[in-house]
Amino acid sequence: MKQVIVHPERCVGCMQCMTACASAHSKTGRLFSAVSESPLPKPRVHVGAGMHNHGFPNRCRHCDPAPCRMACLPGAIYRQTDTNTVMIDPDVCINCASCAMACPYGVIRYHADPLAPAGKIIAVKCDNCIARQHKGLIPACAEACKTGALTFEESDAAMKKKTDRVAKSVTAETALPEQAPGFALLNTVKKAITEINLCR
Amino acid sequence: MKYVIIGNGVAGVTAAETIRQHDASGDISMISDETFPPYCRPMISNFLEGAVPSEKLPIRGKDFYDKNRITPVLGSRAAFLDPDSCMVTTKDGRQLPYDRLLIACGADPRRLDAGGTELENIFFMRNINQVRQMIDALPQVKNALVLGGGLVGFKAAYSLLRRGVSVTMLIRSGYPLSMQVDETAGRMIREVLQSHGLTVRTGVSVEAFEGSGRVEKALMSDGNRTACDMAVIGKGVFPAHGFVPVDRIKTDAGILVDENMHTSASGIYAAGDVAEYFDLSRQKHWVNAIWPEAVSQGRVAGMNMAGHRISYRGSLSRNVIRMFDTDVMCAGRVSERDVDESCRTATAFDPRRNTYRKLVFEGNILVGFVMVNNVEQGGVLTSLVTSRMPVDISDRYLLDPGFNFSRFMRL
Repeated sequence: MKQVIVHPERCVGCMQCMTACASAHSKTGRLFSAVSESPLPKPRVHVGAGMHNHGFPNRCRHCDPAPCRMACLPGAIYRQTDTNTVMIDPDVCINCASCAMACPYGVIRYHADPLAPAGKIIAVKCDNCIARQHKGLIPACAEACKTGALTFEESDAAMKKKTDRVAKSVTAETALPEQAPGFALLNTVKKAITEINLCR
Repeated sequence: MKYVIIGNGVAGVTAAETIRQHDASGDISMISDETFPPYCRPMISNFLEGAVPSEKLPIRGKDFYDKNRITPVLGSRAAFLDPDSCMVTTKDGRQLPYDRLLIACGADPRRLDAGGTELENIFFMRNINQVRQMIDALPQVKNALVLGGGLVGFKAAYSLLRRGVSVTMLIRSGYPLSMQVDETAGRMIREVLQSHGLTVRTGVSVEAFEGSGRVEKALMSDGNRTACDMAVIGKGVFPAHGFVPVDRIKTDAGILVDENMHTSASGIYAAGDVAEYFDLSRQKHWVNAIWPEAVSQGRVAGMNMAGHRISYRGSLSRNVIRMFDTDVMCAGRVSERDVDESCRTATAFDPRRNTYRKLVFEGNILVGFVMVNNVEQGGVLTSLVTSRMPVDISDRYLLDPGFNFSRFMRL
């Protein structure tokens, strides 16, 4: 099964995934018209600044078992097994924020949403772009990402790639392949700048 | 294998489903005195408020018992438990033998030591029938008296305010939710409720209710009488383990369980509001009678009853409340009674955004927090409390309104 895989070391914090996500979850589905919609569509992936101002695209992990699902009072949260997606039913959600207390990653937001009943404030989070996937498209965040920080891959294959990388790194003879050329430099610079600012 | 589950609250329901997932052929029976299909107890206050219709309260469909091939034994409570003959007897005399028993019968409201409590329109707010009666009584109600500022008292007061009823809350401490939050957050909550018409009175209690048939006024401990046509008693709950032989099954405030939700008696498990398990923030046994705990404990109990040994890492008191335009979230040790000199606290108050945040540490372990407004990242803090991971980033970042999960990422 294909999943969005996050490679935090490659994120430059450009936030294009957020724009793409918001427009994918708008009524019209197009950025040009989405900006004038009401309610204004909001992103479900959240690029936050880390300790050294490096970017990190924080996105629902669709945990199994999902803490948000177990905490949901009205039973609005369910798993769609064919795409392994934890979903929130906008009709059932009562905006009680029990899921906010349960989500260890803080990826759930509460607002009126173009895809919810008009005017109703509900819990909103990543839905793996199921609607786009049904049309044969890949999730908007992965499509928009220019640096390869968000990729849409078979999760088993992605896992194997990471495992192989770790396996290689423990053998002294093998030169460790540069996993994110240029990005390490960028992140080092960001780190240096924050440290200089802290000293001031 | 014969499974008997006492209680059809969320702990019992979750356990039953978990058992059925892992044991397709065992016999499962569920005992409950409530005949309504399994419903979401915390949502009865939303029902009282008028925000949620009663059709939305059930947590499972009408076919829940059939679908999971469960024999419902409804309309009567468990009255007697004999661990020797492995038999549960209900109040109306039905006998159920078991191989594995789950006690998930929840908690009962604490009675009020006052005269006249048998009058009409004096309520506990614990189950759907009580709330139905409250709603039926609402048209005649102008002034309500809420006894207690705990979660039930708070929710009753809030829901009645939303219904346009004038509410007076009697509390011992100076602010509501004093067991859950610290003084600053408590005062913020009180101000919000007061700005919407709540009257708070401290240091007085009700001696007796008076009225002919229906409650009309309350005689207070200071000798005055207050008019009230409804009263809600929210003096807390206590685990409903009266039928449990305490010489055979170890009990404290609740029924003591180990990491498998197993009690001290063979084949008998307990979960939910009736169970007492190790509290992660307090580092001692504690009853945390809250919904998410009941779900998690029910799941662990069900797994173990079906033969899969899984451990539960510990419970945590936590709550999230939305009232008018203000949100409050709290977890672990943060109230006055829970914070001592071994703790270090860090606070941030932003009057412009009307946000408040307090973190309580023991060494570098986060053991509790409260946040008023801007609660979306609260789950990250909750998970820090439950994981007991040493926190090595500055308080400044944790208190910052822009705090998010990325702060923990190391590249």
